[in-house]
Amino acid sequence: MSEVALPSGAGVAAGVTDRETAAAISPRRLMWLRFRRHRLALASGAFLLVLYVLAAFCEFVAPYGTTTRNDDAINAPPMGVHFFDAEGRFHLRPFVYAYRMEVNPDTWMREYAEDTGTRHPIRFFARGEPYEMWNLFPMDRHLFTTDAGTYIHLFGTDPLGRDMFSRVLYGGRISLSIGIVGVVLTIVLGILLGGIAGYLGGLADRVVNKAIEVLQCLPSLPLWMALSAALPVHWSPLLVYFGITIILSLFGWTALARQVRGRFLALREEEFVMAARLIGADTPRVIRKHMLPSFSSHIIATATLAVPAMILGETALSFLGIGLRPPVVSWGVLMFQAQNPLVIELTPWQMFPGLFVVLTVMAFNLLGDGLRDAADPYSTGGMK
Amino acid sequence: MHDDTLLTVTGLSKHFDGVPAVEDVSFDVRRSETLGIVGESGSGKTTLARCILRAIDPDAGVVRFRSADGWVELQDLSPKELIPLRREMQMIFQDPFASLNPRMTVREILEEPLVVHRVGNREERLAAVLDMLDHVQLEHDSLTRYPHAFSGGQRQRIGIARALILRPNLVVCDESVSALDVSVQAQIINLLEDLQRDLGLTYLFVAHDLSVVQHICDRVLVMHRGRVVESGVVDDLFANPREDYTRLLLSAIPSPDPDVPLRPLDRRSVGL
Repeated sequence: MSEVALPSGAGVAAGVTDRETAAAISPRRLMWLRFRRHRLALASGAFLLVLYVLAAFCEFVAPYGTTTRNDDAINAPPMGVHFFDAEGRFHLRPFVYAYRMEVNPDTWMREYAEDTGTRHPIRFFARGEPYEMWNLFPMDRHLFTTDAGTYIHLFGTDPLGRDMFSRVLYGGRISLSIGIVGVVLTIVLGILLGGIAGYLGGLADRVVNKAIEVLQCLPSLPLWMALSAALPVHWSPLLVYFGITIILSLFGWTALARQVRGRFLALREEEFVMAARLIGADTPRVIRKHMLPSFSSHIIATATLAVPAMILGETALSFLGIGLRPPVVSWGVLMFQAQNPLVIELTPWQMFPGLFVVLTVMAFNLLGDGLRDAADPYSTGGMK
Repeated sequence: MHDDTLLTVTGLSKHFDGVPAVEDVSFDVRRSETLGIVGESGSGKTTLARCILRAIDPDAGVVRFRSADGWVELQDLSPKELIPLRREMQMIFQDPFASLNPRMTVREILEEPLVVHRVGNREERLAAVLDMLDHVQLEHDSLTRYPHAFSGGQRQRIGIARALILRPNLVVCDESVSALDVSVQAQIINLLEDLQRDLGLTYLFVAHDLSVVQHICDRVLVMHRGRVVESGVVDDLFANPREDYTRLLLSAIPSPDPDVPLRPLDRRSVGL
């Protein structure tokens, strides 16, 4: 890849300034210039960024906590945000209508409709339910909330009258972070073992390779299930969280390790690596300065593509009831509550967590594809 | 052994999976001379060069090098013990594209040997890098650029600068001009000759192009199937080759006169 100067016209098209001539562009910046052309990947990256920021500040963004119940809204549907009321008058401050509950005389189901007589104006940055930001700072301001005595449920409520929107946000914090933490572990394991195999070769290489082959033969879901079932029941939710992360990454590192090994094997024979050794650079320096930078972009791309597997793993385990358990809220835990087909029939808004899983996984895949293409323009499905 | 001998190689052998690549090779290199090592592809000349610098480890033989602190036997040194000696012996590679790290700027590439050997402070290192750029006739504004911004000949100059910035005595040129255009080849050869004169370098010049060797080398070893089949002063050897293999190689040099047809000898006719 070294002999590529620039993708055609990148200097002009990508808005390189005159001062910054093509000659002085670093490979990293070249990668960014190529990545910028993948609109879909860029949009996915932005979407994920927003999602992660929302999840990081979910106490502030969510109007309610995960256990706050609203007895007036059991299994209530999502609310619409309005600017115009029933009489057609415009309100600068958006509002939602209160629920009007009726029990269907035939089915004995609670049915909700908008009570157009009662408006709940939405207040931004207003005081609402008190909470502790990151379990540290007591606060009571929310991004949006409604006045005391009124309520807002953008995604509806669950059978206990808890706000789905808030729960999806809190669940996102767990599900999204498990992906990142798991991938960090995966990367550490993958680079370490793949690096050892690729750099040392010989016996180490054979041992690591056999381990990878054995691990890849095992069907992952039953194994995850067995391992999660082995987690002690009395563990705190935090311990279970880390237990699950470790279980997921224990099987996730193999693909990355193979890649790293392959790169190491190829790079070890590169002349610039030999040149570095002949200069007198010791092994750590050769690896750090000459080998790792040559495939760090590939690692980033691979890692990005590995996050969705982690998120799906957590979701699958929790969905089956053997991963995280209530009172911890994750997308998988939320979907566990929506396992019953009746739920899909009668209260489909309880599937919102599933929608977020789908969107997140898709965004990560698109972002990863874009990064991979940008890192290596000669890979299949490169730039269009 | 002359008292200006810089390097003695005795009985050097290297096998790859049982296949001999270099077999019982012995020779001396004197200070400030250029010793050519020629042979066809697969004759073991690159392996020999790499074994001498311990880029790969030889299986047998003795490589004695006269360092600043006296004679050392390179083949027995640990990688750690070799590091200080790297200041005195360097290699210029064949492929100017593959031998430069695409992710480092010219400044980083040229500074690295100085950093590794803890030479000077930041300013002194920069001064040394700029001085070296002058030596290899590259512009000072090359510093912030990456290798992909340079032509093959310019990259080879960067490679030469990297090899010479520690001011080594012994420089192994491993097919260092083979990958270049003929016109660029001439420039680089002249540069190498100038640098040898200015810096008092000793070259071990590995090549398959005999006309290049004839131009630059003082003495030459002819290698065939891992063994040295003939050696001597370049002009004598080229004028009166004793071995059939040498004659075969010589017959493959095209004449500068376009009217003289190239008539390489047939392998079988010389019994090879």
